[in-house]
Amino acid sequence: MAKSVLTRNNVTVKGEGEQPIIFASGFGFDQTVWSSVSNSFEQDFQIIQYDYVGFGDSDIAAYDQAKYSTLSGYVSDLLEIFDELKINNAIFVGHSIGSMIGILASTKRPELFSKLVLIGPSPYFLNEPPTYYGGFDKDDLDHLIDMMEKNYLEWVSNIAPTITNDPNRLDVTMDIEDRFYANNPTITRQFAEVIFFGDNRPFLPKVTVPSLIIQCSNDVFVPDSVAEYMKVNLPNATITYSNSIGHCPHLSHPEKTVKLIKEYINEQTKVPIEQVGMEHE
Amino acid sequence: MNEHLDQMPSGFFRLSKDYFILSTNKTLLNILSYNQAELVGKFVHTIFSNSSSAFFQLHFYPLITEKNRVEELYIELKSKSGKIIPVLLYANSLHNGEMLCNVVPITKRNQYIDQLLEAKKIAEKRLTEKNELNAQLKLTLKRLEEKQEELLKVNLENHQYKKETKKELELAKKIQETTLTKAFDNHHLQIDSHYKASSELSGDIYGFYQINEYQYGIILLDVMGHGISSALITMSLETLFQRLITKGVATDLVIQELDNHLHSYFDNNEEAWHYCTAIYLFVDTENQTIEYINAGHPPALYVETSGQLKELQSSTPPLGSFKGIEFRTTKFTYTQGARILLYTDGVSEPLEHGHLSDILKAYTADSLKTLKDKLMESLEREGEEYYKNDDQCFILMDLK
Repeated sequence: MAKSVLTRNNVTVKGEGEQPIIFASGFGFDQTVWSSVSNSFEQDFQIIQYDYVGFGDSDIAAYDQAKYSTLSGYVSDLLEIFDELKINNAIFVGHSIGSMIGILASTKRPELFSKLVLIGPSPYFLNEPPTYYGGFDKDDLDHLIDMMEKNYLEWVSNIAPTITNDPNRLDVTMDIEDRFYANNPTITRQFAEVIFFGDNRPFLPKVTVPSLIIQCSNDVFVPDSVAEYMKVNLPNATITYSNSIGHCPHLSHPEKTVKLIKEYINEQTKVPIEQVGMEHE
Repeated sequence: MNEHLDQMPSGFFRLSKDYFILSTNKTLLNILSYNQAELVGKFVHTIFSNSSSAFFQLHFYPLITEKNRVEELYIELKSKSGKIIPVLLYANSLHNGEMLCNVVPITKRNQYIDQLLEAKKIAEKRLTEKNELNAQLKLTLKRLEEKQEELLKVNLENHQYKKETKKELELAKKIQETTLTKAFDNHHLQIDSHYKASSELSGDIYGFYQINEYQYGIILLDVMGHGISSALITMSLETLFQRLITKGVATDLVIQELDNHLHSYFDNNEEAWHYCTAIYLFVDTENQTIEYINAGHPPALYVETSGQLKELQSSTPPLGSFKGIEFRTTKFTYTQGARILLYTDGVSEPLEHGHLSDILKAYTADSLKTLKDKLMESLEREGEEYYKNDDQCFILMDLK
């Protein structure tokens, strides 16, 4: 069991510090997406990174269609990693769906988390006029998933090599690509459906762990209306608006993202958590 | 150069690092039905459908950041009038962060791709169905194997049971045989017998007793069928006739009692009903008379030294068949040296009609032992296979 949790999710631990900080990637990415961000934390933190089953260097054989048909399968994997590494009071940094996984996990086991950093989180993608505007109609999302399928091979041939960008590991590149070709379209599609059609709004008010929302400009996945909704419904949340464009500031603007995270962590250690602030960049 | 760019067959646009459109070629404007002024300075998502925007951000942004180039990206553009144009997009980024993008419309090819994807979905559905069926099949197979294992277990138990039953039957057979009276030879009579059960247990039973100095009782019965049920009845009858005969009870009463006994057994149980043929001889050596009753039994053969033969025929139906039958004795005087053969149909039927009397006549001068051996040899040699499955029993008696 012990070994299987860590190999199942390809958990890697690095860093010189004691305070644990765990990174959870967004849809379609593996842990290497964090490399330019997480490196800046190595000196002062214990860095934990992992892959979702079916992505990156995870154990694809552990993919269970029933288990991963809702987000709770991913949530329980995360909690098992915490237990396996015997860590608590961790800073959690999640991107997109990764941030929702952290939110759900923190409602189940709040003691494991000290802070949540949420990059481009959305609790629900569908529009429910007139009360909720998630940014998409059902047709849009269906179409989006179709488009992903049509680009699947292209996606694989470009993203997969980044997984093994360590030149010493060129030998395994082929193997991973083979695995992607063989297994991933179905997993990717199912994960996309879980993400795009799941409604996680009911969990937001249950969160007790203080959090920072990083909202980018022109993020089509998170319209300002969603960021507004998050701010109102997530207790103890601070929101910061980044002028990074798009949905992946940790990729496009890693230094800026690091700065925002560090500022929040340091701020939090000084100011009591009751304060819910807003910060425009 | 710009002129050539405009004449290129593919659409072209240049983006700022923040994804604003800096310039386009005419081909792109034609494809999208925009004029230059309407697009330049606009955010790139202007030329995308809602889902394309999302996809572009999810897919294109990270790729161009990581790789500085994007190839063969399938995406859908939206024209000014809202028309959707499927294209393949190629892009690379420059040192200053600007991006150059080429789009090639693939409307016709896209139809093929759609059909292919549709076919793939159907194939995947079939595969899922097949896998489900396979899983069901595996389950069925597993159940079958479990059943088979159960069957093997039952079979083993059955085998064990059969083995035990056979042992029990052999023991029962021994017990049945011990009740049979032994051959004897005195100055009045010599008696010998042959007894062979068809299966493990026999439906035949006999007994011969010396009642007093001059009187002897000899009885032979054949309960219908053979096996355990018939054998049980023979045992019950044996207890009764042994008691009656040795007490010197009158011939007709012996038979009457046996008949009553059978009727009382099966009065309330038709299913278990058995009848039985019987012949009882009461020999008085002082008066040289034989009194007998034959109830449905094959005729006993009486042969004198002269070769004169007499059949002691049946005069009544078998015991246990009809109620209220009056059993009448027949009595005759025998001559010295006469010989009598009693037998069951298991002995007469395998042989040709008249064969028994022929042997009997042919061997009048020989000893009882010789005759017995001859009879057994005939049964073994000439007996038809079909009849060998019946119980065989005969009694030979020399009247001195």
